[in-house]
Amino acid sequence: MPTRSTPILSLLTEDLLIRVNEKLVQDSDRKKWRLICKEFHRVDSLARKTLRVLHVEFLLSLLKNYTNLHTLDLSVCPRIEDGTISLLLHHVDHSIWARNLKCLNLSRANGLKFAGLEMLVGACKGLESVDVSYCCGFGDREAAAISGCEGLRELRMDKCLGVGDVGLAKIVVGCGRLERLSLKWCMEISDLGVELLCKKCLELKFLDVSYLKVTNESLRSIASLPKLEDLAMVGCPYVNDVGLQFLEIGCPSLQKIDVARCDCVSSSGLSSLIGGHSGLLHIDAGHCFSEVSPTIVKCIQKLKNLNTIIIDGIRVSDTIFQTISSNCNSLIEIGLSKCEGVTNMGIIKLVSGCVNLKIINLTCCRSIADAAISAIANSCRNLLCLKLESCNMITGKSLEQLGLHCLLLEVLDLTDCCGINDRGLERLYRCSRILCLKLGLCTNISDKGLFYIASSCPELQELDLYRCQNIGDDGLAALSSGCKKLRKLNLSYCVEVTDKGTKSLGYLEELSDLELRGLDKITSVGLTALVTRCKRLIYLDLKHCEKIDDSGFQALAYYSRNLRQLNLSYCAITDMTLCMLMGNMTRLQDVDLVHLTNVTVEGFELVLRACCVRIKKIKLVAALSFLLSSEVQGILHARGCKIRWD
Amino acid sequence: MEPNDRLSLDAWANPSSSCNGLPRKMSLENPSFTNFNLQQQEQKWDDTSILNYGIRIEPPPFHEFNQASESEYLLSSTCNNQPKVLDQEDGLNNEALQTSKSPDWDPRTMLNNLSFLEQKIHHLQDLVHLIVGRKGQALGGHDQLVTQQQQLITADLTSIIVQLISTAGSLLPSVKHKLSTGPPNGQLGELLFPPLAGMNCVPQPQHGSGSKSVQPQCVTGSKVSDQCNQMDVTVSFGTEQNLSIEEHEMKEEEDADEGENLPPGSYDILQLEKEEILAPHTHFCTICGKGFKRDANLRMHMRGHGDEYKTPAALAKPNKESSSEPVIIKRYSCPFAGCKRNKDHKKFQPLKTILCVKNHYKRTHCDKSYICSRCNTKKFSVMADLKTHEKHCGKDKWLCSCGTTFSRKDKLFGHIALFQGHTPAIPLEETKGPSVSCDKMDGNEASNKSGNINFSFGSNAGSGAQNIIEVKEDADDPASYFSPLSFDTCNFGGFHEFPRPTFDDSESSFSFLEAP
Repeated sequence: MPTRSTPILSLLTEDLLIRVNEKLVQDSDRKKWRLICKEFHRVDSLARKTLRVLHVEFLLSLLKNYTNLHTLDLSVCPRIEDGTISLLLHHVDHSIWARNLKCLNLSRANGLKFAGLEMLVGACKGLESVDVSYCCGFGDREAAAISGCEGLRELRMDKCLGVGDVGLAKIVVGCGRLERLSLKWCMEISDLGVELLCKKCLELKFLDVSYLKVTNESLRSIASLPKLEDLAMVGCPYVNDVGLQFLEIGCPSLQKIDVARCDCVSSSGLSSLIGGHSGLLHIDAGHCFSEVSPTIVKCIQKLKNLNTIIIDGIRVSDTIFQTISSNCNSLIEIGLSKCEGVTNMGIIKLVSGCVNLKIINLTCCRSIADAAISAIANSCRNLLCLKLESCNMITGKSLEQLGLHCLLLEVLDLTDCCGINDRGLERLYRCSRILCLKLGLCTNISDKGLFYIASSCPELQELDLYRCQNIGDDGLAALSSGCKKLRKLNLSYCVEVTDKGTKSLGYLEELSDLELRGLDKITSVGLTALVTRCKRLIYLDLKHCEKIDDSGFQALAYYSRNLRQLNLSYCAITDMTLCMLMGNMTRLQDVDLVHLTNVTVEGFELVLRACCVRIKKIKLVAALSFLLSSEVQGILHARGCKIRWD
Repeated sequence: MEPNDRLSLDAWANPSSSCNGLPRKMSLENPSFTNFNLQQQEQKWDDTSILNYGIRIEPPPFHEFNQASESEYLLSSTCNNQPKVLDQEDGLNNEALQTSKSPDWDPRTMLNNLSFLEQKIHHLQDLVHLIVGRKGQALGGHDQLVTQQQQLITADLTSIIVQLISTAGSLLPSVKHKLSTGPPNGQLGELLFPPLAGMNCVPQPQHGSGSKSVQPQCVTGSKVSDQCNQMDVTVSFGTEQNLSIEEHEMKEEEDADEGENLPPGSYDILQLEKEEILAPHTHFCTICGKGFKRDANLRMHMRGHGDEYKTPAALAKPNKESSSEPVIIKRYSCPFAGCKRNKDHKKFQPLKTILCVKNHYKRTHCDKSYICSRCNTKKFSVMADLKTHEKHCGKDKWLCSCGTTFSRKDKLFGHIALFQGHTPAIPLEETKGPSVSCDKMDGNEASNKSGNINFSFGSNAGSGAQNIIEVKEDADDPASYFSPLSFDTCNFGGFHEFPRPTFDDSESSFSFLEAP
């Protein structure tokens, strides 16, 4: 970090400063850099390529500052609307920022309509990547607006529910250079649209047609794509083996295929596909058919380069593990979630050959025991991620082996492994790189276990302690001193936690997601202590925290300005406080307000009016649908807000 | 011109051609007979050309023919029957082919065809009866006559078969194919062809001098020749037509007189001035090309071309064809320099009729001034084209950015796949799912409403009102940069909210709460 002394600064030229600036990765570090002096601030604004904005009101000034942006991410903004766009384009120095922009993320920007999109696309001539996923209200007109990006290479349109063949046709004609396209959940698109896409966009490398009502005809067209490398077609119910046979002879560059949950695909169809593409790197056939057939096993022998195989939910036998082990030596990831027939022997065979495995998912493989885990730990020294949810036979011995050999481990899921106790966690002490640890429903874990975690996992970012009923305030105190980088914490139904515990959580400055469901010992004091310190809170779940009264919620309203998602169901909040809360939380986008006994219908009416400008999703008691005025419901509807009636 | 009229006219060529063809065949066996035959015919045609220029009117030439070839009484009597039979046949052919063009199957046409067939079979029956009756009288030495009878009957049978096949729509493409591509092989082929050849306004060289008298038919009937041309196209270019997307393109094809191989100089070229072409005339002088609004005026005009037009018959109302003329083939040239239809063009292709000239000139060299009143997008230069379009307009809801409409989505997508840069046009009203459109409507309505509501609500809320006032006063405020699209101001509620201190605001909302 450069010091504040001026002689040094005079020695550093601008480009040197930029180079130093580029070395900064963490957001907090960059923030410190900006605060050093004006010159540093200027350099930062020149060098900054990426901007992800939460506060839409600052967008204007930010865009004035950062003119060299390549990436603008508006996905977490409360509401982006046509007017916002027009404002940004016409006010900010004739939209200098738009000229250099290459990537634009408008995910969940439901308020945006085609007029705004058209303006945006018109100004950002150089756009190469656009994400409009989960803009459920988008239709053909919006697609037509997007089609103005001639140079577009990547487009995500997941769950743009209104986009049909016509909209897709607009895009494929306008953006002929598309390389990556996701049409997941665009339910209106049919074979016609896909056919046209495959005729016009010959550069396509990645295509996602998951959950579409497309048939084998689409696969026939897709097979003609010369450069396609990655095809995802999860849950396509009308596609069967005939379609896969088209792919067998087509798509010469195919590397990844995802046919998970395609009910009509059988193992013979998959094996014919594999037969045509011995260079496949990635296969996902989860929940496709019931059993791994000998033909598939035979086919897998040819896949020498296979990196990833996911066969979730399929009955397997030891032979497939033997085959994979002896043929696919470069295997990195295997998914066996909910597979029947996974035995210790099978896993031992598997890891004997596949020593490069980094990701292993054994969720719900209930016959797995310590022997298998020991084998994994011994063979796969590079293991990064191990998921063992509901593997009831796992004990501390497994963790001991992991702690001895898998020092790179980052993700460990031990949810519902009741064989895990504090002693076991102690054995993980050498796994200092763990980022994510899931211990939900491990009822044998107590504060002592948390001590061990706090002392051995300083990098921990995510911890799940759902229903670990023996956890108390002391454990949390240890956690808050040891795991300073913790971002996500689930303490739901850890009923022993009191205000003292939540107060200590306040020292976790990075905390963004916190679930405190059903903690009925927490009062306003604890909540206030928490929110005054945790400024980064984005998601807070206070369902059934019935002891918290209005003063706590008022503190929440005052301090937690960044909160995006809030669950207040079954809380004791009253009309006035709720109104204040919803009026003040300008970043709030998703809120659950079920069973608030102290809030009247009039209160709800006012609350909804107060927040309707920015809210995207709201959950209310079903009875309210008859009591609330149609006017306010109409407003919410018009704003693209989704009401879930409980 | 009445359709019946037309049919008989079209048919007229057939007896002559078939009669011509048959004797010619026989010439191999009996040259002397053929000579005689030809001579007779020549004589007959000469007769007609001199005495009666309008050979298209059925009875007179036929009687002459019959009388001339008295020696072949039998044959002539069968010939006498034939015109009628062939009439129907052609009519059927005509109809069958036309129905084949229109995609929807009309049961009534089918019924018509079948009853025609029935009639025809009856005729044939009569013919055979006649032959049987005459057989006793016939002398043993007339082998040729027997053969001729046989051939005539075979000819009729063949045409019945052809009609049957063409009536059965499913078999049609293969039939067409056969007709258009297969060279006339053997008797059947030759017999199949004459009626079709007759439909073509093509002079048949083997007719010799007789062919000349056949020609005027092309010049006269405007509609007739139109029809003929269309037939032409259907027969020889059936596939091409099926491919063409727009009816307009199809009509352009009409102008094409493929298959006509008139040697240059064998016909007169008339080039009308463009003023003449564009004049709203419907009656044209076949000699000089001058157009008239009324037939009566044309007839008056024709008097100037010679005394033969002054006879009461020529001046009589109904058949202006009767006013015959020296048989010179007339073809037309487009006055537009550089056009393929212009006589100075290297690959000049003459236009057959004045109507062809008119339509060609308007479609190719004129503005499209007739706009469809329904869609307001499609333009035409020929009124008839507009009317044809208006029949379909509105039914085609799939629209391409180029303005072409389609009745089916897959056709539109096929079109888009074919042409670079074409995209589907999105109609102004969202017409996808009822739910979606409903949502949109609601949305628009509600958003307007919500704008107002929000506004008033904001002002109620205290600080909101201040903000709004500030906005109006402050020229530098972003709000002044609102685009002319007039987005409702409440969109920016978020923008104006941020400067206010949190607790101030909460207080105001408290007071607000107490208000109602």
